[in-house]
Amino acid sequence: MKKEYVITLCDGPTCMRNRSKELKSIIQEELQRHNLLDTVRIMLSGCLGMCSKGPILIINPGYIIYGEVSLKDIPEIIQQHILKNKPVARLIIEEDHLYNRFFRIFGDVKFFGKQMRIALRNCGIIDPEKVDDYLSVRGYEALAKVLTDKTPPQVIAEIKKSGLRGRGGAGFPTGLKWELTAKEKSDEKFVICNADEGDPGAFMDRSTIEGDPHTVIEGMCIGGYAIGAYKGIIYIRAEYSLAINRIEKAVAGAYENGFLGQNILGSNFSFDIEIRLGAGAFVCGEETALIHSIEGSRGMPRPRPPYPSVEGLFGKPTLINNVETWANIPVIVLDGADWFSSIGTEKSKGTKVFALAGKISNTGLVEVPMGTTLREIIYDIGEGIPNGKKFKAVQTGGPSGGCLSEEYLDTPIDYESLAKAGSIMGSGGMIVIDEDSCMVNMAKFFLEFTQNESCGKCTPCREGTKRMLEILTRISTGKGVAEDLDKLQRLGMMIKKSSLCGLGQSAPNPVLSTLKNFRDEYEEHVFKKHCRAHVCKQLFNYAISDKCIGCGACKKVCPTEAISGELKQQYLIKQNKCIQCGNCFKACKFQAINKV
Amino acid sequence: MVTPLQKIKKKRAEAINRIISKGYLSSKRVYVGMATCEIAAGSKEVMQVFQEAVNGGLTDVYLSQKGCAGRCNLEPTVEVVEEGKIPVKYGKINPERAKEIIEKHIKKGQVIRDWVIK
Repeated sequence: MKKEYVITLCDGPTCMRNRSKELKSIIQEELQRHNLLDTVRIMLSGCLGMCSKGPILIINPGYIIYGEVSLKDIPEIIQQHILKNKPVARLIIEEDHLYNRFFRIFGDVKFFGKQMRIALRNCGIIDPEKVDDYLSVRGYEALAKVLTDKTPPQVIAEIKKSGLRGRGGAGFPTGLKWELTAKEKSDEKFVICNADEGDPGAFMDRSTIEGDPHTVIEGMCIGGYAIGAYKGIIYIRAEYSLAINRIEKAVAGAYENGFLGQNILGSNFSFDIEIRLGAGAFVCGEETALIHSIEGSRGMPRPRPPYPSVEGLFGKPTLINNVETWANIPVIVLDGADWFSSIGTEKSKGTKVFALAGKISNTGLVEVPMGTTLREIIYDIGEGIPNGKKFKAVQTGGPSGGCLSEEYLDTPIDYESLAKAGSIMGSGGMIVIDEDSCMVNMAKFFLEFTQNESCGKCTPCREGTKRMLEILTRISTGKGVAEDLDKLQRLGMMIKKSSLCGLGQSAPNPVLSTLKNFRDEYEEHVFKKHCRAHVCKQLFNYAISDKCIGCGACKKVCPTEAISGELKQQYLIKQNKCIQCGNCFKACKFQAINKV
Repeated sequence: MVTPLQKIKKKRAEAINRIISKGYLSSKRVYVGMATCEIAAGSKEVMQVFQEAVNGGLTDVYLSQKGCAGRCNLEPTVEVVEEGKIPVKYGKINPERAKEIIEKHIKKGQVIRDWVIK
């Protein structure tokens, strides 16, 4: 059997300008000429981060990278490399970016090929419980590098230059946060890793910690060195048992090898890390509430300023970043701020991890360069909606984010564009919704969540979300009145403006964005008392069609005797008796019962 | 004076040697996904099959666990990596399939195409 190859062509925006599509068709012709189409697979990848040397072509196995490939080089590459297994030396470039290792293993899978893995670079390729595995992929080299030849201000300057922004959701410039904390004079400072991932459907941080815990520790050490802190705390929710287990092992391993503790790697820098478990309150993802929780108080937010960078844990200057932000730090140090900032858009640099879920063919973890459009994630990586259903909306940012309709699919993913479209980047939840979901119900679900999780400290959030939920419940049970829609809008805006912390300030977003983008559905619920997705029980009816063969199965399961009819004749549902329990719908084997 | 950078390079070389001494250079490396999601999908049982095979005398194989690569609906996932060949990524592996991978792919070099993630 002939040896198999995969040729990967970079289809990033820069390489595309250098005509990667044209290259592809030439390669195809050439392969056909040599009758190689069945042993060589061609695939287009997302940006491979080597734009200055594009067009890029990678041949696997071996992960041989060719740079600045022109059309006339193709015959030579096919003849030498593919036919004779002799790579063309003059075109090979040596690029060793940290994230490339992932692509050596997974690059030829369509789902992964379109991604760019920076924060998740080691997830799925190393044993997370072995320090040796992390060391073998240049682990702790970034820490050693800053300890060897960078002063704290130089580290901060590098992070600032990279353009990295907080991946927890709000997108505050990370370098600036570091600088502000470093500037404060204090005998003690703290570094915190926020691993209190609480959005329903989000699992990016859990996967990062379970797949590559040392990267978080290394990032925190670098942060500690940069701001002059000696103590770090990882705040992780207690229900992440495996993640806790792995991070505990990793911390112990780091101490054993001298990456934590006194005089790290023989330098003057000492740093300790402690793990604190959160009981799993959504509000504790908010930085001031998180600090209170670590201090042993109730997890409630307080007004800012003073920001934690001035007055944080135990009143000391504190640097808080989330897991994904920390995971980016070693890459910036090793691969350089210039490289990092070449990825992404003007104001949002690097990549973002999303937990792609909902009504989508390929669910999973997706890390893409900023500027990738929602359509590319949903259709190229996620491969669209299963079962031939129609796309209705995509929800980003979890309970703090919004629902975007089809017209926003070409929105590039960056902090500003998503905010402009009426949603937020958030920590990275991305839920795809198809035509079978009711948007009112969806908004209600998220509001139920935030209303439950509201800590109760400030009135707008505590009372306001409750009232909003009451209105939504009214609408979804057919008791909505005309004023309700305006009232929802007014209340939502008021809660956004007057709540104390991020939870309340963003809680109305799912409602406000669906009100804006799917107002017709709300109006249908209120005025026509109809739910087009057949989700809100009271707002649709069951009816028996002429497919009915008169078996009587539905009548047997009806608890209210609403179904009548003679055997072998079409049965009938009396709507005034029907309680929409759905038993008959499930019992019918002939699809004769419809929701109307 | 030895700088931290020199120290870490030495540590890395040692780490790589340790990994090699555990059989990393075997002709096949097998990785089984072992994150919460993979375990929930049944990867512990899959791992057990491979572990038992190795304990029972399957040689020239380096077996390791790994984190979640993020291909959720195809979990549990198993990769068979062989130098000089495209790494084979299997999805939806259960204990029976794991046994078949050992018999066909690992022992005889036959890739089971139907389970490969494309």
